[in-house]
Amino acid sequence: MGDRSRQELLHTPEGLWDHYGADCAQYETVTQMIGETMHRYGYEDIKTPTFEFFDVFSREIGTTPSRELYKFFDKEGNTLVLRPDFTPSVARCAAKYFMDDTAPLKLCYEGSAFTNTSNLQGKLKESTQMGAEYINDDSAQADAEMLALLIEALLGVGLDQFQITVGNMEYFKGVCDAAGLDEETEGELRDYVSGKNYFAAENLLKKQTIDAGLAEQFLQLTSLAGNDRDLEKLEENAPNERAAAAIRRLMEVYGILKLYGYEKYISFDLALLSRYRYYTGILFKAYTYGVGDQVATGGRYDTLLSQFGKNAPAIGFMFQIDTLIEAMRTQNVGPLVSPAPEIVTYTKDDFKSKLVKVQKARQAGRHIALVPEKE
Amino acid sequence: MEELTIALTKGRLADKTMELFTKAGFSCEEMKEDTRRLIFHNKEQNLNFFLSKGPDVPTYVERGAADIGVVGSDIILEEKRRAYEVLDLGFGRCRMCVAGPESARERLQHHEMIRVASKYPNIARDYFYHEKHQTVDIIKLNGSVELGPVVGLSDVIVDIVETGSTLRANGLDVLETVCDISARMIVNQVSMQMKQERIRELILAVRKALES
Repeated sequence: MGDRSRQELLHTPEGLWDHYGADCAQYETVTQMIGETMHRYGYEDIKTPTFEFFDVFSREIGTTPSRELYKFFDKEGNTLVLRPDFTPSVARCAAKYFMDDTAPLKLCYEGSAFTNTSNLQGKLKESTQMGAEYINDDSAQADAEMLALLIEALLGVGLDQFQITVGNMEYFKGVCDAAGLDEETEGELRDYVSGKNYFAAENLLKKQTIDAGLAEQFLQLTSLAGNDRDLEKLEENAPNERAAAAIRRLMEVYGILKLYGYEKYISFDLALLSRYRYYTGILFKAYTYGVGDQVATGGRYDTLLSQFGKNAPAIGFMFQIDTLIEAMRTQNVGPLVSPAPEIVTYTKDDFKSKLVKVQKARQAGRHIALVPEKE
Repeated sequence: MEELTIALTKGRLADKTMELFTKAGFSCEEMKEDTRRLIFHNKEQNLNFFLSKGPDVPTYVERGAADIGVVGSDIILEEKRRAYEVLDLGFGRCRMCVAGPESARERLQHHEMIRVASKYPNIARDYFYHEKHQTVDIIKLNGSVELGPVVGLSDVIVDIVETGSTLRANGLDVLETVCDISARMIVNQVSMQMKQERIRELILAVRKALES
């Protein structure tokens, strides 16, 4: 037993974990495998600082409310923030170093992100995120590549039972345009629809003086999960060009995913919306069994880079590695983690001969810990 | 058939919910027995039901320990968990109110500081900050909130009111209504995707039973 008063120092703050042994090895293996998939698609690693100026993650840009950011000051009195996610940093970085560059830019990252969430909710305050961003390309091919990369990364770590749900913000905005909803009602409706809150959406629409057919279209949003044929029908019935174009985009992306051979992992949900102005086109979430949260999220954010002075379309996604690993553990799938190292002991007398042997084996790639024999 | 786990709010709400579910074709014989068990199964339909405290229901659903939950909307508003809110079940109706002695009505008219006792600190804070734009000192209590104004701990309370008899018996009145409350069905966001067909079927059956 150690000194009791010192044992007070042993535990970490809530929402922070130590990773060691096999657990740590699994994190390492999983991130490595996902990283390899990303590299195979030509994505290049990028590292941005762990903390940046507050404004980089401000309300117009970020997706984390200010009170959930870890904030502190530097000596000049600037407010600094521990990054809650990577996308704003990567966008800033891309704007800074590739301001006038219009060639497609493919970047990927891995690291810790920090959110100051409430205690006792079982949420991590430091989580591992891994993601890819594709800048300067607004094509359906780029959308499909992101989805294909996400699917391949999931397959790569051994998951095969998962589903990617895809929506398009533009469809909802198109229907709102057609109905002539004001901004406030639109926001309220967006919250209800994205929460699958059918009855509240219905009540809200009853209060509006809009066409019954259009109200029906809003309500259909909440119950739709489609395939090719559903999409065609929606496109025909779309109330205006904006909504129709949104559906056509999804059909195009779906068509390209068939070329990849990954269409079976995709389903559509037009009620998949985001509260953040950040997302402008398609958006998607990856779900699997065994966890209560999505393992990856992403979407198109064509206006984000303009916050940093560069007008460039972009799309990206991000894995919550902690959730992903939790899912892999519950489903009992995943890559084999390299076994614990072999242990070779030595005594004072045979140290020299053991060392020679061990060094040879190490050079051959074996993992060996050389330790003194216990007396 | 995929397994579905449903979290119910212990007490009257659970009884009402099972009545409705039975009408919709999802029953659980095991629950009718008088036992101290907390979890019950329906093997033929591959359903599990468990009973928990109201405020814990959204927690189970958010974390995916339950696919579906039935809970009062007061708790959904207070707990602010991430889950789809798919149906208003219509029962368990009551109102979230600001109540106090008649003399406290004056204090609600201006933006001056007011002391509020409540079991629902988040709902109380949201209401006074965003709707009334009034500064509040919120005192969290765990029950018999009516005592607050009576013994001078607070000016008013924010609490659910069904008939108002407890209020009246203690010389308090409803001063303002914050919102209407009723039982809701909530669904875990991942389950909604991964067990889509089963959950959709259940929602439709329950909605039909509600309408009949």
